[in-house]
Amino acid sequence: MDLDFLDNSLPIFDGTVTLGSVLKFILILSFSTFLVKILSLYLRRSLKDKVSKDAGETIIKILYYGILTIVFFSNLRLLGINPSGFLLAGGVAGIVLGFASQNIVGNLVSGFFLMVERPIKIGDQVQISDVSGYVIDIRIISTLIRTYDGLLVRIPNQQVFTTNITNIVEHPVRRFEHTIRIRYSDDANAAIFLIKDLIDKEPFALLNPSPSVFVNDLGDSSVNITVRIWAPVNEWFGIKTRILWDIKQTLEENGIEIPLPQSIVHIQTDSKKIPEELVPIPEKEIESVLNYEERVLA
Amino acid sequence: MYGRYNPPFSVEQEGIAISVENTGEQWIYRRTLGTEDVEKIILGDEKCLIINPVEPLNTPKEITPNLLIEFEKTLLLAGGAKRKIFLTFPIEIGVFIADKGEKDLQLLDVLSLVRQKFTLYGEVSNGVICKHWKSQIYSISPSPNPLQEGIIELTLRNTSSDWASISKVVFSAYGMKLYYAGDVFMRARMDILNRNTAETGFELQHLSGELKSSPLKDFKSRKEAFGVYSLQKLGFVPLKFYMGWGF
Repeated sequence: MDLDFLDNSLPIFDGTVTLGSVLKFILILSFSTFLVKILSLYLRRSLKDKVSKDAGETIIKILYYGILTIVFFSNLRLLGINPSGFLLAGGVAGIVLGFASQNIVGNLVSGFFLMVERPIKIGDQVQISDVSGYVIDIRIISTLIRTYDGLLVRIPNQQVFTTNITNIVEHPVRRFEHTIRIRYSDDANAAIFLIKDLIDKEPFALLNPSPSVFVNDLGDSSVNITVRIWAPVNEWFGIKTRILWDIKQTLEENGIEIPLPQSIVHIQTDSKKIPEELVPIPEKEIESVLNYEERVLA
Repeated sequence: MYGRYNPPFSVEQEGIAISVENTGEQWIYRRTLGTEDVEKIILGDEKCLIINPVEPLNTPKEITPNLLIEFEKTLLLAGGAKRKIFLTFPIEIGVFIADKGEKDLQLLDVLSLVRQKFTLYGEVSNGVICKHWKSQIYSISPSPNPLQEGIIELTLRNTSSDWASISKVVFSAYGMKLYYAGDVFMRARMDILNRNTAETGFELQHLSGELKSSPLKDFKSRKEAFGVYSLQKLGFVPLKFYMGWGF
């Protein structure tokens, strides 16, 4: 088989670039990509139990793109391109590209700063703008969020970086609050004792920071008791939903009830005084009212 | 209750009922504690069950590897002093399935008879969640119920020149080594570095070492317990705990 055509110089390059060298460049790049992918897989498996998923993914991404960039630039000579020329060309190209692809570059730079500043990590529960859920991946251009109802939302990194981010799981503990309403006739101290006892029996209601239970408001139809409990950040939702019903049941078992909205109406019972509204209307006046329609029609 | 059992068997103590029954081709593991029932199917022959105390950080759910023991009374230790005290710690009972040679262990079940409670050690923004336990301070080894409480022999060493006021100690489960026979035992140390910081850890020597010659009762017959944390394939994890938010 005649392979001499591989040595023919290409018309678009100078004489040193041949079809063979271009193929060689493509082969080296493809082979490197293949090797780096295998390396990434190996690292992903070996780092799985040793470092957090977020840190592991960052290391793998830096290695992946770093190695490919080095391979790309070190083999540019095969295409007859001197990498040092990029210093000058890169500046000019950068300005042109910057104008042409402002959004992409903006997302790219934001992605870089997101990885450096790390306000969010893979696996965190976050709220970004009006999207709440788990961070699945932080890519170079965008961040992927799985919402609590299972939807995948892709947010451009520029938006992530410039908007308010609430990281729900950044701190190890968080507090929640319930307001319990009891009747005025019930003993608030007894209710507080029962609620505190219930909190004490709940393993995930933390001892420190200590919970607080107190009468917070004397409402229109109830005494309002505020219950504040600190819980481990990954357990707070479970305990929040569980303890409210437990409090209701415990209070009811001990004769303390949650009142319905109510108003007290005082009725005057003095029979000597006839209320003004009940004074009989003169007959004539009633007649005129009854004949109103006839009069109008007439 | 602690020890090795060859199925079929049934054991019952202090409200805990554990049994393994043969139902044709398979074995059924059953455990009852109060209103809680656990039932698992075991496929495999020539296996045995090992029941022993494990690190007290698995129930009701493993959310932290740290155990905080709060002292009933604050203890004051003079600068440069070294003293030995005894504390109690909560017991969790682990049930393992293993080959007859007690190899290839798999955790089957963990249960506990004692109160479960968690607390935060440190600040809200960067503290650590810990399992909480309150203990009296003993000068000689106490004799608690081995299904509920174990004994920690804690050596306190104040390396600073100031008095140290100690009201709590935090341990990491990764370094824990439990020994059991008539009681459940751990040997730990706490080095006070300065007014606010200390380092805690466990003595890792085997029974053939210093522990074996200890004058405490039953030491020669104590057996090293299989731990839940020692079964996990761990990378580099610190065995010591650095108490940076006071003690």
